[in-house]
Amino acid sequence: MVIIKIFCVLCILALNFSIPVQAETQSMQDEHHHHNMTLDSSGLVMNSNDNTLPQDCDKLSRDYNIKVYAGTKYAADYPGTVFGMDQHEYQVEPCSRITVTFVNEDEVRHQWMIHGLPRYLYPGGMFHLEAAGGHSQTGTFIVPSDNKTYLVHCDMSQHMEKGMKAQLKVGKGSGDLWAIPGVSKGFIQDIYIPEEIWIYLMMVSIAGVVITTLLISSKRS
Amino acid sequence: MYTRWLFFLSILVALMCFPLQWYPMALRLQLGQWLGADEYRAPPMAKIAADTTTELPCPEDLLNWRDAQTIAGVDVRHSPGCIVDNPNAVAAFVRGTNNVSQQILMASGLTPDAVEKGRDLDGDGDPDEIHIRLEVVELNGGSPESDLPTTQYAIAPGISPGFWVFAPKMFGMATENFESSKARSMLRLPSPAIRVEQGDIVKITLENSHYMPHTIHFHGVDHPFVDEDGEGNDGVPVTSEKPVLPGSSRTYNMQPRQSGTMFYHCHVQPHVHIMMGLQGLFVVEENRPNNWLQTLNVGAGHVRVPSVAVTEKFDREYDLQYLDIDIDLNNRIQKSNDPRLITRDMHRRYDITDAKSDFFTLNGRSFPYTFRESLVVTKPDEHIKLRIVNGGSTGIALHTHGHKVTATHYDGVEAKPAARITRDVVWIASAQRVDLDLETTNDGLHSYGSGIWLLHDHQEKGVTNDGIGPGGNVSAIVYENYLQENGWPKTQGMDFNKFFTAAYYRKEVPVWGDLLNGKFSDVEFDLWMLIRLLGLGLSLGVMVALVINGINKRRP
Repeated sequence: MVIIKIFCVLCILALNFSIPVQAETQSMQDEHHHHNMTLDSSGLVMNSNDNTLPQDCDKLSRDYNIKVYAGTKYAADYPGTVFGMDQHEYQVEPCSRITVTFVNEDEVRHQWMIHGLPRYLYPGGMFHLEAAGGHSQTGTFIVPSDNKTYLVHCDMSQHMEKGMKAQLKVGKGSGDLWAIPGVSKGFIQDIYIPEEIWIYLMMVSIAGVVITTLLISSKRS
Repeated sequence: MYTRWLFFLSILVALMCFPLQWYPMALRLQLGQWLGADEYRAPPMAKIAADTTTELPCPEDLLNWRDAQTIAGVDVRHSPGCIVDNPNAVAAFVRGTNNVSQQILMASGLTPDAVEKGRDLDGDGDPDEIHIRLEVVELNGGSPESDLPTTQYAIAPGISPGFWVFAPKMFGMATENFESSKARSMLRLPSPAIRVEQGDIVKITLENSHYMPHTIHFHGVDHPFVDEDGEGNDGVPVTSEKPVLPGSSRTYNMQPRQSGTMFYHCHVQPHVHIMMGLQGLFVVEENRPNNWLQTLNVGAGHVRVPSVAVTEKFDREYDLQYLDIDIDLNNRIQKSNDPRLITRDMHRRYDITDAKSDFFTLNGRSFPYTFRESLVVTKPDEHIKLRIVNGGSTGIALHTHGHKVTATHYDGVEAKPAARITRDVVWIASAQRVDLDLETTNDGLHSYGSGIWLLHDHQEKGVTNDGIGPGGNVSAIVYENYLQENGWPKTQGMDFNKFFTAAYYRKEVPVWGDLLNGKFSDVEFDLWMLIRLLGLGLSLGVMVALVINGINKRRP
């Protein structure tokens, strides 16, 4: 467990250090990706793949049908979040085919986006469902054979931070990600203390001094 | 016994170490009379300048966004700045995102329902049913995974205050890609300028994609207090409607009868939400035949497809939005991730009556970034329409170098020609709009000729980034013959590279370090004086210890 945590820290650090290197010129090009994509006013499905096996799979192990519900009401069970999904962890077998139906019960867009898939099959390494408010989207992807934990999230600004984060474990997975509601705590954690904490701390410290002094003087006499 | 000697020794050392500079003046004069002037010792050397990494002032336009081009039958004008709007988005806003090809939508990043344009009701060749969908985006917000902000947006090198903005409805990720934390270019401050035509049937849907409640209030725009169904339509949570909750949406309806430069903003806890960036220009254009408007102008600035009425009288049009920022407010969204703690910090613990502004933006950027994208470019003998709103908490005294401008409209209402004032400092109070006619006739009044003429708030704090100048809302009126091919002005003054470093605005770089062979550079400290001061501190410590020791000994 500790090793996994250290690994996560290193990952985050690596991610952080890579950010300032991004050149301004690069950023303008990045807006023109070419993905396998269908887009209409109900949302989009990107990089859906229901027949091409990853290189390391001989055959499909099995099929999964996952129905995911998203919306603010699914945040109710997790204090400190606003956006939610009904499930935050998915467990599948290696080389399996997963069909996800993403049902958005809010009136704003939401996404079910998975990262880290092999780039030769999924441009950018991702599979992405995006449902406009009140709509649902369905798409399929096939996972490779290795034990790995994949990040699933909504990439709209602050939606992952405020609750829409999940993980997909293939096989045994590769540990838990940080800040998955119901699974793991945040790496940066809020501190919940009363506003008058300094008064309390001071009072306890004074009490410590008084008690110790009394004890020592009573022993002397 | 040795303690007594040690005590005298420490007094002696303390006296010797005590710097001459701290002696009383009378004593110094007396010493000077007895001993004469002090001997010369050279002050410390100049500090060698730190190696600072510089951003590229004017990044290359790899996708040819600056060029004049026709997209989906829309003539998108050449935009002369270094960084300009995505012309595909401009064309989609003109034609309607429901009326352009998949290819153009993909290149613009917009959803098909971002700006829907419907029927031509008056038969004059342009659509009169307009449906705009806006989301709420947080820039530079906090995260439970890292202490770096998410969906990053810098107003100047190294300066990234937290913002909330209305944004056009776009598909896909909020960042440029999975590896980057930078917000994609259309997610930015300020909220987009909205343009509709007089008499259009306008629907604006707020899809509240943010974790806090918001509304939209249409300031100065002709709109009914309630819509046809009796639903609140004024955006004010205490009088007309409940706030739009996270994940919910509301559609506002209007058919503006009067034209003019107006304003829109969130009206939930407005002293916080307006200052966080939930505000934009709202322009009602005069009705003309075949008047296809650029419904959204992302980031305000140059209008690449101006309306028919504007092109009748003006050669170019610019939207200018000013906003000042109290960093103590804006950075609160980065300090915790729990919305309950954030809202407590922002709406109860923050006290705007104690606020002071640290940063001053024009179209969402401060100098030097303003020079990349907010230059007002012109030629001689032109008329430029400047639509200006002051979205900030204090007034601005907008000064045009080299020009006297004429205010034609105040708060969207035309001033009678006899009442128009031509001047070079225009006062714009909070939420006020002024339309300026910038005339570039070289007559010594309207213009003094070609050049790079600054355009800035003359309240001096407004030309700084947290007290470091040049910064703030400084931009310029630049004549084309003073503009390089890449859009950067042919400046003849100081090297701009220094301003494109975060270190300069962290106050780490001397203002004139590169002038006059380092005569104004940073200074090394005086090592000898440091040793003396350390000696003084040590001997004082010894003295105190001896005094305490002495008192203890005398106790029975």
